[in-house]
Parts: sequence; C-alpha cells; structure tokens
Amino acid sequence: MNIVVCVKQIPDPADPGALDPESKTLKRDGKLILDESDSYGVEMALQLVGDSGEVTLVSMAPNGEVSGLRTALAMGAAKAVLVSDDALKGSDALTTAKVLAAAIGKAGEYDLVLAATESSDGYTGVVPEQIAAVLGLPSVTFAKAVSVDGGTVKVDRQTEAGYDEVTCPLPAVVSVTAGVVEPRYPSFKGIMAAKSKPVDQLALADLGIEAANAGWAGAGQEIVEVAAAAQREAGEIIEDDGEAHAKIVDFLSNLKVI
Amino acid sequence: MYEWSDEHLMLQQAMRDFVAKEILPIKEELEHGDLPPYDVLRKLYSTFGMDEMARSTFAKRIAHEKAVAAGEPVEEKPSRHGGGDAGYTLIPIIELCRHCPGMVTAMGVSVGLTASAIQAKGTIAQKERWVPELLTLEKVGAWAITEPNSGSDAFGSMLSTARRDGDEYVLNGSKTFITNGPYADTIVFIAKLDEGNDPKDRKVLSFVLDRGMPGLEQPKPLRKMGMHSSPTGELFLTDVRVGRDRLIGETEEVSKGGRDGAKATFQQERAGVAAMSLGIIEQCLELCVQYAKERVQFGQRIGDFQLIQQKLAKMEVARMNVQNLVFRTIELSRAGKSMTFAEASAMKLYSAQVATEVALEAVQLHGGNGYMAEFQVEQLARDAKVLQIYAGTDEIQTVAIARALLA
Repeated sequence: MNIVVCVKQIPDPADPGALDPESKTLKRDGKLILDESDSYGVEMALQLVGDSGEVTLVSMAPNGEVSGLRTALAMGAAKAVLVSDDALKGSDALTTAKVLAAAIGKAGEYDLVLAATESSDGYTGVVPEQIAAVLGLPSVTFAKAVSVDGGTVKVDRQTEAGYDEVTCPLPAVVSVTAGVVEPRYPSFKGIMAAKSKPVDQLALADLGIEAANAGWAGAGQEIVEVAAAAQREAGEIIEDDGEAHAKIVDFLSNLKVI
Repeated sequence: MYEWSDEHLMLQQAMRDFVAKEILPIKEELEHGDLPPYDVLRKLYSTFGMDEMARSTFAKRIAHEKAVAAGEPVEEKPSRHGGGDAGYTLIPIIELCRHCPGMVTAMGVSVGLTASAIQAKGTIAQKERWVPELLTLEKVGAWAITEPNSGSDAFGSMLSTARRDGDEYVLNGSKTFITNGPYADTIVFIAKLDEGNDPKDRKVLSFVLDRGMPGLEQPKPLRKMGMHSSPTGELFLTDVRVGRDRLIGETEEVSKGGRDGAKATFQQERAGVAAMSLGIIEQCLELCVQYAKERVQFGQRIGDFQLIQQKLAKMEVARMNVQNLVFRTIELSRAGKSMTFAEASAMKLYSAQVATEVALEAVQLHGGNGYMAEFQVEQLARDAKVLQIYAGTDEIQTVAIARALLA
C-alpha cells in the first residue's frame, strides 16, 4: 500500500512571525519547518504502510523550501513532491488544493491520501476536502484512528460526543486530527538517509496550471484588513474580608461551572 | 565546516525534543535523587537507533579485522562514527550537557572509555564477547585506573597488582572515583604485573571483570560536588581470580606497553570534554541573555549595564571558540585524521577552563537567584568544575602541551 501525505512547511511558531504590511499575509521568506499538525499524518501513514509500501510527501512552499520535508523524510517517508513557484504567492485555499491535487497526480500509484485537518499558520481547514473534490475521491474528516482492509478504509471519526465508525472505498482522502498518534523521532540513520531521498521539484507549468489562475491573480479571496486582537480585560480582585469564598462561589456559579 | 549542517540541526532539534519530553520530567531525581541514568540513556539509544547503528558499525569493524587477520584483501577500516560524521556523536553530548552533564559522563565512560579500551587492544574474541553490549548500553561499563594514592601519576603510583598463578591471574587492589563503578556490569581493571620486581619496572596490564565475580566489591556511590546524574564509586578487589581470556590482548606483551593504549583512550576522552563544555556554555549563555533582558534593577533591565554586557560578551567569545574546536574535531574525523596528543590536551584545557568560568559568571550574573538551586546555573557551575579535574587535570594538560612544544 502506498500513501500520499500532504504536508505544509510553515514559519517556526517559536519565532514570532510577522505580517507583510502590503499583502497582509504571513511572511514566509525565512527557513520553514514541518507543521507539527502534519507530523501526525506522517506518523499514521508510516504505521499504515509498515514494510509493505511507500509514503510520499506532497507540499507547496516558496523558494524551493525543503527543510520541513527533510524532517518527514528522516522520519521514514520515501520521497517527496514539492511545488514551488513565485506565481503561487497569495494563493487561496482552493488554488492550494488544486495545486496539491495535481502534485498528488505526480506522486505515483497511491491508495490513500492523508492530510492534517488544518495548518497551524493558515487555519482555513478546508484544503483536504477541496483536494478530495478536485480528485473526485471520497473524503473523511477528523480521523482519530485509521485502518485499511483490502480496498476499504475504516476511520474512527471524531465528533463532539465521541466518534463515528466510518468506512469508505479506496482511494480516499482522510484528514487526521492532531495528537492522535505519537510522531516518532527521526533516527540517526533516518536523518543521514533523508538527504539523499528524492524530492521532485515542480513549477506550475509542470502541473499544467496557468499562472493567471493561481496566486493573487487567481485568488477568490482578499484580505482587506488586519486588526489587533482585543486586549484581555483585567481580572477582578476580591479582597478577603471573611466572605471572599461566597463571592468566588457566586462567580463560579455565574459561569455555570459549578 | 563553519556551521552546523541541516542534518546536524535536525539531530539537534530531535535531541532537544527528547530531552524536554524524557529527561526534564525526571531531572530532579537524576540530579538530586538516587535515580541512575542508565534506563533513560538506553531509551535515548533505542529511540534514535543508536544501539542498532552501534551494533552494525561494530559488526563491520570486526569483519574487517577478521579479514585482515586472515590475510584477505580489505578496504579501508570502517569509521567508528556513524557515516563518518563525528557530529552524530558530539551533538547528543552537547544537548545532554545543557541539562545533565553527568549523564554524558556515565554514557561516555561506558560506550567510550570502557568499550574503546577493549576495542583498542583486545583480541577479536574479547571484542565480540564484551564490546557490542557496551556500545549499546545494554551493559554498563567502568574503566578503573584511578586509585586513592594515584591520580595524575596514574601509572607511577599504581598499587593494584596482578600475580600469575598457574594459568590464571590473581588481582588485588582498590580503585576510586570510578564512574559507573557502583552499577557497572563490565569493568576494565588496570593493574601492574607483580613479578617481585621494582614497582616502577612492572608491566601495566588491563583485565575485563564482570559484576558479581568472587572478591569484587562495588560499594554505593560517593557523594560529590556536582555531576550527580553520574554515579561514581570505589572498587575493591580481594584475590579476584581471572583466566588469561580476561587479560586484554591475551598477552603480557601489549604492543608498546599498556601506557599507549591508555593514552589513546585519554585522547578520545579529551575531545569529548570540548563538546561537554560547549553544551554547558550554550545553556549558561542562553539563560544569562534571557535574565539580562528580564531582570530589572535601578529602573532598567540589567542587560543595559556595561558590567553585565561584558560578562555576556565574554561568554559569547568562549562559546565561539569552543564551538570552533568542536567543528575542528568533526572536520578532522571526517578527513580520517586525529589530533596530536598535545592538541587534544590544549583543547581540553581551554574548554574546561572557559566552561567553568562561564558557569561561575552565569551564577554571578544571576546574583542571589544564581546561587539558588531553582535557577539552573547553580547546577551547571558545580558540574563544570570537574571538567578541569577529570580526564587529566588542567595541570597535567599543561604539562602535555609544554612537553610537546619543547620536545
């Protein structure tokens, strides 16, 4: 079984990011890292294929960035397809999905596509389903457990109340909830091997997508304004005059937590 | 090499994640309790496949040696370091030393000193018997040379003896300050062959002992100033009988004497100290920069005071210098070369001194907080001091450097 995992390379959340004042989007010129929320899909894919298949990464990133891909390759993925093109700057979620879907077509034979439910920098949360629609494949969201039996994928799909057991025919696109598996550390051997694993770098033209339909030009959305989040209000300080406990009880019962 | 490669940085990140998840939660027990570091070190080894890699590297090296012994044509000897990159050995040392330098001592003595002593001079059978489990940390190793009355003058004042008795040897003596001594499964014991001759003319022999052998005592750890995550102890041997199969090399005529074997081991140990120093310095500097930005006195952050700036700048100079020494170690090993004994000594001397200096200045910069155990610099200052003492004192390193210059 072969699995394609869509991964995003994002600015390191540990370094405070900055917005480009002109485009009002996140600056992505520095080194990018593997989005942590994608490491769960990579781990799940590696567990599912075991020794009998390959995991291929598919990613779209500026400046031919591969640092994040190398991390997932070191974990055990076999190869990667990276789409990098200046014309992609400003792409919205749907363009991203079209590009990733086209790149998945270049990833060789596959049985299953995994993705995170949403990225940690953009948070649109719609790309996996859009990919499924573009590819004409069934889609299952919010997987907390995935197993494959013959031509069927069985998914425990997280809900507010618990989870639903869902089955669907392969190939399919499944989005994986963060935290449901423990991503492995890259082994020493894996790190050494990652450097020589193939990363197929493609431009828009290689995917047959017109530049006019991508990036700012093709975006169906526009960021019109960026506003600072409201300051958190100061808390209320209660002096203990012997009756403070009653006030705390009132406060908590107003919140309906007791 | 002038900076870490992408692979090195990936390894560094993975190590940091491991330390945060597996070591920091039990740090209190490792540093102030009685929890030996071996289980978490074994976890480190298995998590990163270091055990599997050590096993396969060993297998390649032993196959090479067997081919040489059989007179078959052979290629170049496989490197000790995975993929010929010493960075893979040194980065874990640096990262562990940011928090628990003692763990590195415990690990280094086992997989470094003890395994190397057998690997350097042992027979193929001896290597196969003891080395693989030492390299993977399945067995804990100790290298026993220091005695109550012989430290820097290791060979001259050595009182431990080996006497021939038929086909066997009878070993007697006491050792002290032995890293891993209390928990060691495999011990390399260094003694002088007593043939009734003048002690200064006696041959130096090394024997491999196993835990539990009759006459071998391994008392509980000694209390010390720092390096609490590294158990240190004494060893007492009373008429321990061993066969020739436990004499390293199975010959009393160790090539150029046992002293050269021990010297080669010293050299490797000295390179490791530079990496340890770098970890301590990096951590101290990071903590100090953060503190200098946050701590406010006289209405401004203390980083605005020039006396604090001077401390930070000196720490940065030390960090750059020691990092360059570590880079040089990696470059040399990549080129298949090794440092001269004097150069290794110079590197060890400098790194140990600046690590101690930086750590003590880090305490000073933190003021009263720095003296409290809650702030990590207190621990690192206690830990750093031993770098100037073990693996050859500053004074011994100085002599080695001067001797080479004047030769």
